[in-house]
Amino acid sequence: MDDKRRRFEAQVLPHLDAAANLARWLARSPADADDIVQDAVLRAYRGFDGFRGGDAKPWLLAIIRNCFFTAAGQGRQRRNVPLPDGELDRVDGALIDEAPDPECVAIRADQGRKLDRIIATLPQEFREVLVLREMEDLSYRDIAQVTGAPIGTVMSRLARGRALLKEFWLRDLEGARDGMQ
Amino acid sequence: MACNEALRLQAYFDGELDASASADIERHMETCRDCAALVHSLEALRGGLREDALYHRASPVLRSRIAKGLDRESSGPRGFTALMATGRQFWSGAASGAVATAFAAALASLVFFPVTPNPLVNDVMSAHLRSLMENHLIDVVSTDQHTVKPWFAGHADVSPPTADFPKEDYRLVGGRVDYVEGHRAAVLVYRHGAHTINVFSWARSGESLPNIVDRNGYHAVFWQSGDLVFCAVSDTALDELLGLVRLIKEISIPDSRE
Repeated sequence: MDDKRRRFEAQVLPHLDAAANLARWLARSPADADDIVQDAVLRAYRGFDGFRGGDAKPWLLAIIRNCFFTAAGQGRQRRNVPLPDGELDRVDGALIDEAPDPECVAIRADQGRKLDRIIATLPQEFREVLVLREMEDLSYRDIAQVTGAPIGTVMSRLARGRALLKEFWLRDLEGARDGMQ
Repeated sequence: MACNEALRLQAYFDGELDASASADIERHMETCRDCAALVHSLEALRGGLREDALYHRASPVLRSRIAKGLDRESSGPRGFTALMATGRQFWSGAASGAVATAFAAALASLVFFPVTPNPLVNDVMSAHLRSLMENHLIDVVSTDQHTVKPWFAGHADVSPPTADFPKEDYRLVGGRVDYVEGHRAAVLVYRHGAHTINVFSWARSGESLPNIVDRNGYHAVFWQSGDLVFCAVSDTALDELLGLVRLIKEISIPDSRE
């Protein structure tokens, strides 16, 4: 095994799960996600000489995201349309509304699967910052690097994404409760 | 209405504030009902999002596809096409019997491997051939089992029983890591006469194993011991390969997975 391959395996491949997770949350279809990861990792390898050290995780995740958009641009996937602005303003207050918090409602066995579906309905620009922040534990600076957005934008997308997620989640829980009555 | 501090509170929640700004916001939370509720809400969402079921890890199939892709990127084109390009000089230079036969078989096998069905057999066979074709045979050079075994602990997913068998003429020459079916397999490299024997081992994951596979003059012997799957590959006579398999089985201790 040559030196480049060895360094790549030591620095980049530990983040393969993170790459697979982000690709899956962007592309949704497992087959598309796997294709994106494979494409991205090989591109990362070819471009590894240009990697200037530091944390390889945001570097790899940025490549994943670019590969997703390349694939999406080729018309293979385009499933999420951003909500109109008015809709977003309306739910901004949802972060502090008076409704019971999700944790107040009994935990259901299929909650994970439900949440999975709810996250999937979020517009992509909110979904990706939530995945990067909450699942991958990236800092604002790293999320800005991955998404190519300024830190201020990362912060407002996170806030809106969280507000939306909360609203959708509560709506889903209320729907389930109504269904049971 | 949301409190004006909502974004700063979020930054506090995400660990982005320094100590003094954090102290500020903590004081603010003591008096602001909205912000106290917001933190509560953020925690609930975080708990939900960090559910294991929502995290999609790279599958073994994907890992194996990537390992193969990297093989092609890093060594495949150079190893194979360079050999083809310099073919004539190469063959006249390396006409010393054994080496030439090994390379001829290696080339023939590379051509035939893609159409064969069992990916596991393909993985170990191509890993064996690659180890012969390039400077890829050994990552840790040592005839000392006490050097090779600890090396695996930091590099492979498993640490197999390791021994040298000089009396029986199976000499341990080193160790290596290869990807087999998405696992980081530990590979022990033995010399037997003029032949190289690679002994792969990886964590068992319930796959069905062939017993003995012959292909293009190479033999692969598969077996299981404890949590580990083993495969010995070589172009020695099958009896001689089975001789080493027997010796390794004798020293194998179950539960050697780390």
